[in-house]
Amino acid sequence: MTETSKPRAPFTPWDRRELPGLFAVDESARRVGNYKWAEMRLFEVLGGWVATIPELDVKLVLGRHTYHHAWHSELWHKRLPELREMNPERLTVPPNDAFVTFMDAIREPEAPELTIEKLVGVYRVLIPRFIAAYTYHLNGTSTITDAPTIRSLKFALQDEFDDWRDGEMLLQALIDTPEKVERAGRRQVELEKLYLASGGIAGAGTLGEPVEEVRVS
Amino acid sequence: MKKMLPESELARDERFVRTNIEDRIFDPRGPRIAQRDTGPARMGVDRPAAGERSRSLMHGIFVGEIQALEGAGRTCYDFDDEAAPFQLKLDMARQCWDESRHCEISVKLGDHMGTEIGEYTESTFLFAAACNPDPVLRLCGVNRALEGLAIDVFNSMKNFGNESGDPILEFCEDWMLADEVTHVKMGSDWLRRLTATDPERRERALEFQRTVDAIFNLGGFRGEDDENPIQLARDFRRLAGFTDDENDSLAALARESTEQAREMAEAATAALQTSAQGS
Repeated sequence: MTETSKPRAPFTPWDRRELPGLFAVDESARRVGNYKWAEMRLFEVLGGWVATIPELDVKLVLGRHTYHHAWHSELWHKRLPELREMNPERLTVPPNDAFVTFMDAIREPEAPELTIEKLVGVYRVLIPRFIAAYTYHLNGTSTITDAPTIRSLKFALQDEFDDWRDGEMLLQALIDTPEKVERAGRRQVELEKLYLASGGIAGAGTLGEPVEEVRVS
Repeated sequence: MKKMLPESELARDERFVRTNIEDRIFDPRGPRIAQRDTGPARMGVDRPAAGERSRSLMHGIFVGEIQALEGAGRTCYDFDDEAAPFQLKLDMARQCWDESRHCEISVKLGDHMGTEIGEYTESTFLFAAACNPDPVLRLCGVNRALEGLAIDVFNSMKNFGNESGDPILEFCEDWMLADEVTHVKMGSDWLRRLTATDPERRERALEFQRTVDAIFNLGGFRGEDDENPIQLARDFRRLAGFTDDENDSLAALARESTEQAREMAEAATAALQTSAQGS
């Protein structure tokens, strides 16, 4: 017979989750809204590029990745009302105008000869920064109070890592001359400067500095 | 990157050879081929050149899947959030993944059946239907007309795989068929939602769908008789949300197209004979 009246601790000994976290509800919601906006702009352009890319393997990979980023934006869309934002469109915004400029630059290449420029923007600049922003949020937010966001972050991060690897391998296969190395490098530098000016996917403080830690009394 | 990419700008590598629909219809070899008595056109293992025809159709499916992928991708990009709601774009992104898988499946099936990329030509009128500037018309043309056709094609190919004892072909076509039913349902749902208060727009969209259907019936390609290579898959179409009335009217349209094709072939044959007597 199992002893049913014996008290047990609410947390198992190996469950080391702690209160508090770095973000209040509003701050978590603000970031999630920025993520949704950026993921939307990304999946739209990946979809749009498919028709402009002659390399069949790249075309098919982008078709798959289009859905991954659409799904992330859907995860964030569903999370917003749970973070007290009943009008998700209100927070589905870029963090600032400089980030819009950055995303416009990412989305700008069109010609079929510009596959390297398209892929560098997404896989060497934007997706590594999604990985950073999501990881920061994952590591900083309360593992108890913000657990639903953490679950979505983990799903999204798994895709981001897989997609980054796909994109980087495609780039390594496409960059087969010293001239193309320079092209890829120039494109990366140009975009990283724009990203720097924006402060990040969630604006200044994407990776921490301006955010004050929230303490539970 | 600009919105609304014309079909002439679809990016392809050097293996792909593009033709237009007129090239096919007015191919001078057509009347001579029509003179041959090759029996029913319906796909069957006992038909002359069944293997060649199935390989050609598989290549057609492959290039059609590329264009369906490109069309769904452009719908994600071409419209702002006002013209195309967020959820519609999510559906289109999902379709991108599905079509991308269909391309992969088709390439592998092409290998399996003994053909290769570029062995047959590509015509881009499927993508042309995906260039409509109204998202509702675009969805009706692509998700209801063309994806509806895909249901018929995959069902015919699945049956061909079964009859020819090719379990790989049958297996793959069945999986793709499942996706196409989903895509048609998406089209039907969005048509209903986006035109709920605008019956005129709905009628325009349905008219566009009928136009696209008519183009793809051209030459009696799809129908319910032995003369049609691709058979109308009524049960799967019903599952996808087409009403019996819609299926009936499509069958009638197909019979009309088949009859027109027969008349054209007879006229061309007569012209050939006259020309031969004169020379």
